[in-house]
Amino acid sequence: MPPEPVRSLYIHVPFCAHKCEYCAFYSAPPGGDQVQRYVAALVRELEWISDDCRPDTVFFGGGTPSLLTLAQWETVLGAMHRLGLAGPAEWTVECNPATVSADKARLLRDAGVNRISMGVQSFDGALLERLGRIHTRDQVFRSFDILRQAGFSNVNIDLMFAIPGQTLDVWRSTIAEALRLGTEHLSCYEVIYEDDTPLYEQLKAGQFDVDEDLTCTMYDELVDRLADAGFRQYEIANFARSVPGESPDAIPSRACRHNVGYWRGRDSYGLGPSASEYVRGLRARNWANTTLYCEQLERGRRAKEFAEALSPLARAGELAAFGLRMNAGWPFAEFRERTGFDLKTGWAEEIRNLCARGWGEVTDTAFRLTRSGLRFADTAAALMLRPEAPASENARPSAGSRIPLKAA
Amino acid sequence: MDAAHIRNFSIIAHIDHGKTTLSDRLLHRTGTVATRDMEEQLLDAMDLEKERGITIKAHPVTMIYRARNGEDYELNLIDTPGHVDFAYEVSRSLSACEGALLIIDAAQGVEAQTVANVHLAMKQNLHIIPVINKIDLPHANIPQAKQQLEDIIAIPAEEAVLASAKEGIGIEDILEAIVQRVPAPKPTGEKSLQALIFDSYFDTYKGVVILVRVFNGELRPGMMVKLPHSGKTVEIKEVGSFKPKPYTREKLEVGETGYITANIKSPREVKVGDTILDSRNPAAELPGFQEIHPMVFSGIYPINTADYEALKQSMAKLQLNDSALTFQTESSAALGFGLRCGFLGLLHMEIVQERLRREFDMDIIATYPSVVYRVRMTDGVEKEVDNPAFLPDVTYIDTIFEPVVKAFVICPSENIGDLMGLISEKRGVINQTETIDSRRVMLTCRIPMNEILIDFHDRIKSITRGYGSMDYEPDGYEGSEMVKLDMLVNGEVMDAFSSLVHRSKAENRGRTLAAKLKDVIPKQQFQVAIQAAIGGKIIARETVSAMRKDVTAKCYGGDISRKRKLLEKQKEGKKRMKSMGSVDIPQEAFIEVLKTS
Ligand SMILES: Nc1nc2c(ncn2[C@@H]2O[C@H](COP(=O)(O)OP(=O)(O)O)[C@@H](O)[C@H]2O)c(=O)[nH]1
Ligand code: SF4
Ligand SMILES: [Mg+2]
Repeated sequence: MPPEPVRSLYIHVPFCAHKCEYCAFYSAPPGGDQVQRYVAALVRELEWISDDCRPDTVFFGGGTPSLLTLAQWETVLGAMHRLGLAGPAEWTVECNPATVSADKARLLRDAGVNRISMGVQSFDGALLERLGRIHTRDQVFRSFDILRQAGFSNVNIDLMFAIPGQTLDVWRSTIAEALRLGTEHLSCYEVIYEDDTPLYEQLKAGQFDVDEDLTCTMYDELVDRLADAGFRQYEIANFARSVPGESPDAIPSRACRHNVGYWRGRDSYGLGPSASEYVRGLRARNWANTTLYCEQLERGRRAKEFAEALSPLARAGELAAFGLRMNAGWPFAEFRERTGFDLKTGWAEEIRNLCARGWGEVTDTAFRLTRSGLRFADTAAALMLRPEAPASENARPSAGSRIPLKAA
Repeated sequence: MDAAHIRNFSIIAHIDHGKTTLSDRLLHRTGTVATRDMEEQLLDAMDLEKERGITIKAHPVTMIYRARNGEDYELNLIDTPGHVDFAYEVSRSLSACEGALLIIDAAQGVEAQTVANVHLAMKQNLHIIPVINKIDLPHANIPQAKQQLEDIIAIPAEEAVLASAKEGIGIEDILEAIVQRVPAPKPTGEKSLQALIFDSYFDTYKGVVILVRVFNGELRPGMMVKLPHSGKTVEIKEVGSFKPKPYTREKLEVGETGYITANIKSPREVKVGDTILDSRNPAAELPGFQEIHPMVFSGIYPINTADYEALKQSMAKLQLNDSALTFQTESSAALGFGLRCGFLGLLHMEIVQERLRREFDMDIIATYPSVVYRVRMTDGVEKEVDNPAFLPDVTYIDTIFEPVVKAFVICPSENIGDLMGLISEKRGVINQTETIDSRRVMLTCRIPMNEILIDFHDRIKSITRGYGSMDYEPDGYEGSEMVKLDMLVNGEVMDAFSSLVHRSKAENRGRTLAAKLKDVIPKQQFQVAIQAAIGGKIIARETVSAMRKDVTAKCYGGDISRKRKLLEKQKEGKKRMKSMGSVDIPQEAFIEVLKTS
């Protein structure tokens, strides 16, 4: 009997018109026929996994998925329908406010896409420029209207705080404008200084300082303002507008189910250059190189750069660690069901430690981080991780070699 | 060779006055080495020695010189280290000689090291032949050099030989002076063999090679001789000399220098200063010389704790050829396992550290150097303390005595004010001020050794823009108000930073260290107090404020494994940190501060 198909699918679109100053995602400006070639390769990769995938969440991320042309989208969407991958309960596409058009929005909506995530980052023109974003403030409003008109009733925007030069006042008005826009969901995160990004170089060169206190204040401001406005935080950086009548203990109904799936340890396929996936104990990642990715698929292979088999305990540690990013923490029953391990006894020392610091709390049914604990989710995560058991193997196959990703 | 035709001598000089160049000339002129074999600076064998222009080991070389009187003489040149750190080694080289060439640079004149070296040679009753070198230089000032010779060294100016080692001028005159003025060695009149061991080194094939000066009797292969120190009797395998490469000889006779081997595998069995005696009919031992006493101690730790064994082995190898170096295991809460090492002085310490890095590829960190204190306890017992961490409880201490040195500082007259300031800042007392020439003065002062450890020499150089020079010799102990300065992190003492400091300086140093530590200790999830304390009393405090948060970042599917690896790496890194007062301190932080304090 074939195993249960995988229910989650991520697709990476590795193109951006221009690289943002802070960005460490794999993306590059599209050159020549590269996008065309990528689309063809992606279709092959979709074909490859389609037997084993019946997604109820699909997420197109990037890069800038909205950079694909209408025709290219038609190819991709057509393939998804043909392969039985369309029609998930939640289907998200990331968009850049500068590349949203009415035609594209329509096309996506008609194909079954029902959630849009827009990378806005800021409502302040100067900061947008500072970050190297290609869109203007006005384009945000315009794109949002287009999306609504196309029938998208579930829209997220991404916002950034602690941007060099951003004052508390500027951040406050960004929050206010985001709320006024009326999206269903907000993702808000701190500027991160990733190696090899221009912003990091500027920081190293001493062009500005990071102000930890201001960053903390901004985050507190965010959490409070959003709560006042009827949003529910369900993860460190994620907020969903609450729906009347929903249970305050459950994960909000407008939460991004696809991402919740990651934190809850659901298997998921990852397609496209640099995409990661986790399927039946095997984590793998595609090459972060579009040309190589295309070449491999043209030769009839998936383009895995690496794969590792995680021991059940290591995987459980990973889930214990990252599941705590959610406000709901880990219901003990669910953790056991997902991982086969008992959180309460297996992580007793860590739980005690976190509670002693005032960072964690144990309820009848769950363990979760407190509000102050959520500020130290990485430290908590580091505690919960379990070292890879010696028996597990870390495979690093040569480029393009086949890995048994499908059950025979 | 009969003793009447043997001359044993050393060359002493301030650095760069031309000792090595002159040695090379002498080897060349006596045909000891052919021109084509001449390599610049033949005697400085080790790379590091060449680079720093200093000689660490004694190198004896035997030359045959046909003098103007037509007779052949065996001249044994015993090269000496050129820095007072090695005064001990200088004096043991000198003890194998009857005379010394004192080189003075005609353009520079007498320098601090010239004075210190002459003191050593005079203590050994050597006949000193002054050589005014570099007379070829356009700014050579021979009359002035002669004047300084009379005034500072108290040697009649007419005894000076004028030379240019570089141009080959005066070389004959020097050789003749050696033959005529250096006394020939005389047998001691004892009943049998007496040979002084003045150095040794380890050879992988021959075992320990012992450098000797025969004072009585003779040494031949096959002889059974006794090493009084180990009490062992050994059979001599090989006898020889150097020119400068070793060559075997039939025997070494009274007054001669050279080497012997006897299949000795452990350098520990051979003690420099010991007398080799006939095993069946032993004569009295020669006076020998004082035990080596390291003057400066410091902990040396591997940066990577896993390298401890390798460090120990490297150190043992270094010790094979550096009998002055001592070490024993110590451990520090902050730095893990390491070695407490004793050095003759700061330069010696630097050289050893550098050799560990270069020749053995070791990544090391050295703790703050310490001199050897004498501690008189209330019950009258005296203890030596070379590691501040082991200072006894102050309530049982009556007095702490610190070593002092007699320092010679020569400087341009216009810098005298600044130098007097520096010396008094270093708790020194100036005993004498002499005019050397129209431009320079010499200050003779008494300074606690602990004060010249770190930056005294560098500061003299910078005040005098390089024209000043300094040298010193140990000058006993003095009672002193030393206090132990401890650095604490959240209440726990960080032993690597403990030091003995004079009371007048403790507060300042405590403050500086606390401020430095504050800069390098990363924020923790709680506030960290850094304190400097003297005997439990806090004299300085800095606070590292608590970290308020982790970074609020995206973390979705693809990021999970990346993030996990990052966190695991941090966790791994934490294991390598030293947890002190429950504060995780990266080792780099210690290193940063130790490097700069
Ligand atoms: N002009 C000149 N330079 C010399 C003379 N003797 C040595 N030097 C130079 O002085 C420097 C130091 O000489 P060196 O023999 O290494 O001095 P050491 O430190 O005493 O061994 C070298 O650059 C030599 O070439 C000399 O008679 N005349
Ligand atoms: S648009 Fe997004 S993926 Fe593209 S460069 Fe900017 S931040 Fe990176
Ligand atoms: Mg030299």
